[in-house]
Amino acid sequence: MVTKRITRALMGMLTVAGTAVLLVAPSATAAPASGSTVTNTTIRIWSDRDRKPAVERVAAAWAASRGVTVEVVEKDFGKIRDDLKTVQAATAPDVIVGAHDWTGELAADGSVVPIIPRAAVSKQFPGYALDAFSYGTSVKRLYGAPVALENIGLVVNTKLAKVPTDFASLQKQALAFKRKKAGNLAIAVPQGANGDAYHMYPFFSGLCGYVFGTNKSGTLNPKNIGLRSPRFLANTPIIDGWNKTGLVNSKVDYGTAKDAFLKGKAAFWITGPWESDTLKQSGISFRIVQVPAIKCKSVPFLGVQGFMVTKFAKQHGVETFAKNLVGDYMMSASAQRSLAAANGRYPANTTAGKQVSDRVLQQFGAAGTGGVPMPNIPQMAAVWSELGGAWVKSTKGAGATKARPAFTTAARNIAAKIG
Amino acid sequence: MSATVAPGEPPARRSASTVAWSLPARAIATFSGTPGLVLKLVLLGLLNALSLWAATILARDGHWVAVGVLAAVTLAVDAIYLSSRRAVPLKFLIPGTLFLVAFQLVPIAYNVNIAFTNWSTGHQLTKVEAIDGIKRNSLAPPEDGRTYTMAAARDADGELVLVLVDEATGDPFVGTRDGLRPLPEGSVALDEMGLVQRAEGYRLLRGQELVAADPALQSYVVPTGDAAIRPEGLELAVELAPTLVYDAEADTFTRKENGVVFRDNGRGSFVAASGEELEPGWRTNVGAHNFRRVAADPLIRAPFVRVFIWTIAFATLTVLLSFALGLFLAIALDRKGMRFLRTYRSLLVIPYAVPAFLSLLVWQGLLNDDFGVVNRVLHLDVPWLFDANWAKASIVLVSLWLTFPYFFLISLGALQSIPAELVEAARVDGAGPLQVFRKITLPLLLIAVAPLLIASFAFNFNNFGNIYFLTGGGPASNDQDVAGATDILISYTYKLAFEAGKGQDFGLASAISIAIFFIVGTISVVSFWRTRALENVR
Repeated sequence: MVTKRITRALMGMLTVAGTAVLLVAPSATAAPASGSTVTNTTIRIWSDRDRKPAVERVAAAWAASRGVTVEVVEKDFGKIRDDLKTVQAATAPDVIVGAHDWTGELAADGSVVPIIPRAAVSKQFPGYALDAFSYGTSVKRLYGAPVALENIGLVVNTKLAKVPTDFASLQKQALAFKRKKAGNLAIAVPQGANGDAYHMYPFFSGLCGYVFGTNKSGTLNPKNIGLRSPRFLANTPIIDGWNKTGLVNSKVDYGTAKDAFLKGKAAFWITGPWESDTLKQSGISFRIVQVPAIKCKSVPFLGVQGFMVTKFAKQHGVETFAKNLVGDYMMSASAQRSLAAANGRYPANTTAGKQVSDRVLQQFGAAGTGGVPMPNIPQMAAVWSELGGAWVKSTKGAGATKARPAFTTAARNIAAKIG
Repeated sequence: MSATVAPGEPPARRSASTVAWSLPARAIATFSGTPGLVLKLVLLGLLNALSLWAATILARDGHWVAVGVLAAVTLAVDAIYLSSRRAVPLKFLIPGTLFLVAFQLVPIAYNVNIAFTNWSTGHQLTKVEAIDGIKRNSLAPPEDGRTYTMAAARDADGELVLVLVDEATGDPFVGTRDGLRPLPEGSVALDEMGLVQRAEGYRLLRGQELVAADPALQSYVVPTGDAAIRPEGLELAVELAPTLVYDAEADTFTRKENGVVFRDNGRGSFVAASGEELEPGWRTNVGAHNFRRVAADPLIRAPFVRVFIWTIAFATLTVLLSFALGLFLAIALDRKGMRFLRTYRSLLVIPYAVPAFLSLLVWQGLLNDDFGVVNRVLHLDVPWLFDANWAKASIVLVSLWLTFPYFFLISLGALQSIPAELVEAARVDGAGPLQVFRKITLPLLLIAVAPLLIASFAFNFNNFGNIYFLTGGGPASNDQDVAGATDILISYTYKLAFEAGKGQDFGLASAISIAIFFIVGTISVVSFWRTRALENVR
């Protein structure tokens, strides 16, 4: 009995001792977090892996001049948006790297706050880059600092075809090339079974289509759906013609399109700057241009990446600093140059844009002239699969639906989904 | 909490024949002395440390109920494993029960809880935060609004003020919480960057002083009549006026321009009579609203029957075909003395061993009708993924490929358990192989396999991955409704909850998942009940 009692007392003591040792660790880490106000103010930035080194470098220079420190936390790009919804305030970021098409969702959530850059700074940006980050159902406000632009262009294999100056020449050359040999593609533009509204957008805008119209305050109006605009619908027989000749074929998916261009089975490829390295290493002599105008200008969708200030900056007592970093420093030409170069994109700042020396990037930049930012309102979620699906149905070769009903149905479905 | 703690106690009664100790018994004996005690204490210590660490985090965020529950559970676990033999049954029950609660009951309760809220895009904040957000987002520059180069400073009394230089005219001002006051010309100097360098009579804040002033600057307002000048970052101040005015007493927003009133609609938004909604909204309880939407929404009701039938067909066909193929192969490979038996069996398990989403993406490529391997090698022209009916066939075929190895393994095992003398007796009585299979093998096999068939059905009923990765629910059907030709309930409701309205709607998604749970639950219960009959075969 005595030994048993001793054993049990020992047990209890040891267990408590074990916990006591580990108790030190959390209290030690908690201390600096709580006593932070004066000595060590930190601005926390969530960044993706590609941009992290550049963000660290650029932000560190700013932080040194401001007497604060910057902590850059690496996140999966898509996770930045999702995790912002569930993060605890204590570990939340003050500034995030983000895509412009998150703007509507994050602003509607109240997760990001509006910024106002100085007029001299705003002037250095094309209107569409600022519009991309602007949102508001009643008052249009800017929620992010644009940093890098990306868009697709028409890549021409200059050994196989001449750079087309008008759409008729593109069509003629593409179809002639396709007829030359079985297995050749006319225009290698990716779609696949699930559709790809993004890569098809130049053809959509070229036929005068648009996704959402704008309302009085200059922001997008989800009730105005451009898939059923009379001007576009009047041009839909052209799509049926493309389907008949095989100019565009929805069975071509991303891998097929890329493979065809790289193996010389397609003279024209629609792709973006993420394939820059592939293109440079392919040994193909190529040139990138905007798809020639069809009935309207065939502009691509623009993707804009940039920085946003979160609602947490205020709680952390660093909002004016975060706004200074994002709305002023990160928008300067020198910061933009290194940030955009970090993952091979074209800088949003026009002064920085003029200094781009990479030939491929320059050409992609030029191919994006007049481009339309992907709609940044949350209702866009209802559009992608429907718009992509309409293209798939109307360009799948034999048995294809006529384009007019395909796009009208898509428009009706989008309206029903948005509600 | 780990199960390895459980055998810490010595076996209650030692068997008389200690010679034939089995491996588990030997393991228990090894751990029942001092090593077992030490191991137990270390594990309990780790558990306690983990709880303590979690408790500090929970306490910091103010989740006091969770701290209480955590403390109670930890103490209970300690007490049970440190106590004498009286608590032996609990020692075995506690780990399983805790995991059941943590990984089954809590998520279910959480899910049900969400189903009664409006948690979705635009409804993330508390109401107080949302009102703040609406006020902030509705600020706009007034007609002749001015912008100023700004520097935070302290005046002679040490009060925080804003030294301002009008960007258009270059006139210097000082802004205080009372209003804007002009400064004598030339009293403020700008540097070559155009920023405030010096102001007579004021001490500009730099470095740590400025850092410390941030919270005050965030809410600093210099009133200018209707509008006000607010700092925007550290070097700019902008004159902004509210376009919406909040009336705290009536709990309404009114638009200044036209007097439109926005009222709390009880579902987390301020809404005008016209239906216009202010953003952001807030997260709140909306009662059964989401369930009413599931029942009444034409987007759900219109295609429901078609989608439901296809879901049943997809799940049933996948399970039955996979079972048939798996069983056929198991019987075929159940011969002793066959050459390369192990190789054949291993090869058949490969589809099961490869991650399903990888196989699905590969299949998507293989089935491409102009460029895919399947059509090219077989010289076919089948629109595998582009035609509604063929897409359904593709889904079933690929699901068959992914599922049959499971049933192959199960059947192979179950076949071993059928007594050989039964089969032999039947043969003696003159039954042919088919008769033996129908009357002896299959019924006996089903006793073991039927519950797995039902489980597999329930799994495939919600097999989101197969649909999403192979066809994405497509091809889009030509008729009017939004569901694609191969959409099953779960993939279609994903579209409704995450690709409709304003994007993500977690409340609706939870409500739908509860509805689907009841459908699958009913089917499973009825089936289990029916399979009881099978057991009477014996």
